[in-house]
Amino acid sequence: MKIMCQYVVALCCAAALLSGCDAVRRSGGDASEEVKVEVAVFEGGYGVHWHMGVARRYEQEMAAQGRTVRVDLWGDPRLSEKIKPRVLRGDPPDLVLMHDLPLWLLIAAGKVLPFDDVLDQPAVGADGRWRDLFMPGMLATYRADDRTFAVPSAVQAWACWYDARLFRRHGWTPPATWAQFMALCDSIQATGIAPLAFQGKYPGYAWFTFISLVQRCGGLAAINRINLMEEGAFRHPDVVWAASLLQDMARQHFQRGAMAMTHTESQLQFVNNQAALIFCGLWLHNEMKASTPPGFEMRCFTVPAVEGGKGNPRLINGAGSEFFFVPADARRPEEGFAFARYMISPRNAPEMGRAIGVLSPLHGGTPREALDPPLQSAMDMIDQAEGFFYERTFELLLEWTNQVMQPGLAALLRGELTPEAYCAALDRGMAEAKKNPDLIIPVYTPFDLTQFGETS
Amino acid sequence: MNRDYGRSIFIAVFLAPALVLFTAFVALPGVRALLYSLQRWDGLTEARWVGLDNFARLFREGDLFLIALGHNLFLLAVAGSLILVLALAFAAMLHRRIRGAGLFRVAFFFPNVIAAVAVALLWILLYSATDFGVINAALGAFQRMCHSFGWDWPRVPLPFPFLDSRYLLYSLIPMMVWSAVGFYMVLFLAAMEGIPEEYYEAAKIDGATPLQQFRHITLPLIREVFTVGVVFLVITSLKFFDPIWVMENQRPTRDSHVLTTLLYQKVFTEYNVGYGSAVAVMLFLLVFCATLISLKLSRAERVEY
Repeated sequence: MKIMCQYVVALCCAAALLSGCDAVRRSGGDASEEVKVEVAVFEGGYGVHWHMGVARRYEQEMAAQGRTVRVDLWGDPRLSEKIKPRVLRGDPPDLVLMHDLPLWLLIAAGKVLPFDDVLDQPAVGADGRWRDLFMPGMLATYRADDRTFAVPSAVQAWACWYDARLFRRHGWTPPATWAQFMALCDSIQATGIAPLAFQGKYPGYAWFTFISLVQRCGGLAAINRINLMEEGAFRHPDVVWAASLLQDMARQHFQRGAMAMTHTESQLQFVNNQAALIFCGLWLHNEMKASTPPGFEMRCFTVPAVEGGKGNPRLINGAGSEFFFVPADARRPEEGFAFARYMISPRNAPEMGRAIGVLSPLHGGTPREALDPPLQSAMDMIDQAEGFFYERTFELLLEWTNQVMQPGLAALLRGELTPEAYCAALDRGMAEAKKNPDLIIPVYTPFDLTQFGETS
Repeated sequence: MNRDYGRSIFIAVFLAPALVLFTAFVALPGVRALLYSLQRWDGLTEARWVGLDNFARLFREGDLFLIALGHNLFLLAVAGSLILVLALAFAAMLHRRIRGAGLFRVAFFFPNVIAAVAVALLWILLYSATDFGVINAALGAFQRMCHSFGWDWPRVPLPFPFLDSRYLLYSLIPMMVWSAVGFYMVLFLAAMEGIPEEYYEAAKIDGATPLQQFRHITLPLIREVFTVGVVFLVITSLKFFDPIWVMENQRPTRDSHVLTTLLYQKVFTEYNVGYGSAVAVMLFLLVFCATLISLKLSRAERVEY
């Protein structure tokens, strides 16, 4: 009994000590003049070193202005798992680099603050409003009710990648039309090299090629119908046409075994010249940097024009990416906004290109010389483009994406589903998903066809 | 009286930490999951009561729940049977003191000590459709050898996509057998070691063959342990998660979902906490029923010689 009493006393002492420590920790922040900003960053292919460098520079600049600001910037590959519980308990960081988070759910729940006030403030390192520095379309992704809920720190675009050295050796040139693309694949196949590597374990990769082809075949009108989630949007003949082009490409030219390969496996096949082409986003270069052999000249071209298609081939399937948002329950949201405005600024964009190979979403933000040749080629592709378009359903209809879109796409690529059947399944699934009373469908501003030289 | 009271306190003090932990981390979350299963909730905003809607959805035609359950049962039936048969066979051989029994015992048990994720990664490399894939390389060499003899066999285009979602469940079977058979073998072997040698000697004198000895002595006398093995297998098959999650790169499909991957995807990818919790409740009920049935069977009359 005596021993038990001793244990109880010891436990009480330990608890008191621990709570005391916590009290000291909490009061420490309040007692000092220092302003602490917590920034959470997804630690993916781009790492967090560049972000940390920006944080230190920000602290120095604030110090020069007489403010003591400490940016507590941390990164984690499993960011979303750490952020979700903090959002739920009302204690999120002041600024978050979104990754794998249901931002629309959070927006609908009023848990995200709009950026508009800070977007209208002067930019850091340039004249004019911050908002005006973004390339057209870059702020559109998370825009609802005339408010912008997240700002991108990078540009993403869908492209077809190749090895310029391999192309020179065989006398191949990047194709301008889909017929030329298929002819190129035939020529590649004739040499014994697989024409196309594919990230088959993630059939969703083909969705971006599909959507690019939808625009090439049916123009922005087809993209608008899909983004508006109109009934029959996918059964439209132009979309079925795009699906049949995609299926022909996969059936004839995918590397054997591609459907069982992960993104890294297939991309390794590409950088080792086992396959000559691969469709991927601009992150490919960064993702494969360590595995790319010397002499490999990674370059890209846009998804070729489809003969007879209604779409402007000078448009790119792309949008802003690496979005930052400020949670509504953040302790110091104004500091989160201020740091975002500093980070995504003309002053920091060149360094971002040099350090982590990211194209800035700001007009002329990334100087060409700051980039490696693969990204220079991506920049050329973007410079030659007349604008961006994007498709939003895969992000809004999560269940549809998992249960209908992706498995159906895999079946389409394998030839188990006809293009008509796949498109019908997409429409059916979308109609079913729309019955969900909790589904959030943000107001969509359709792309202006005439602005991009298209007609309906 | 005073002494009894002190003893009760003593017992309570020792039980309390376990009870507190069990209540906090098992019982309460279990009750919460049951409540979530009656709600429509995305995990971030206000929840709404929907009664048994989530459960009704599970049994709707074409719903993934029944498909995933079917996959669990397939793995249990095919891989589970193979594991039991092979484990029994290996245990019986080791029990008969074949040469190198100790080595075999370690070799068979070894995969069991490797983490499930590591096992999955290992088999991903074995099955890979790239140049790293040992199995595809071996098949390729075999195919070339057959061709050199003029045989057009095996008639599959290589590399074979073992890790394609369509074939994944089949590809899992060798992996499951390889990684689990050692555990069950050791379990059965321990039971066999407990059978008195005299029974076998008497049977030999009566002219019983080794197969007859196995059927009429070994099997009846290890029945209780065998039942425990079956219970383990049923529970393991229903809770099967890691290898599929790893081999499907966190994106299982209709072809490869099992109950646990479906649960995870619904809750953490699609933010459908209500539906995911309903799957969890059904999973609990299935494991509970399977355990009850197995326990009932194991309580059947004990064999004595």
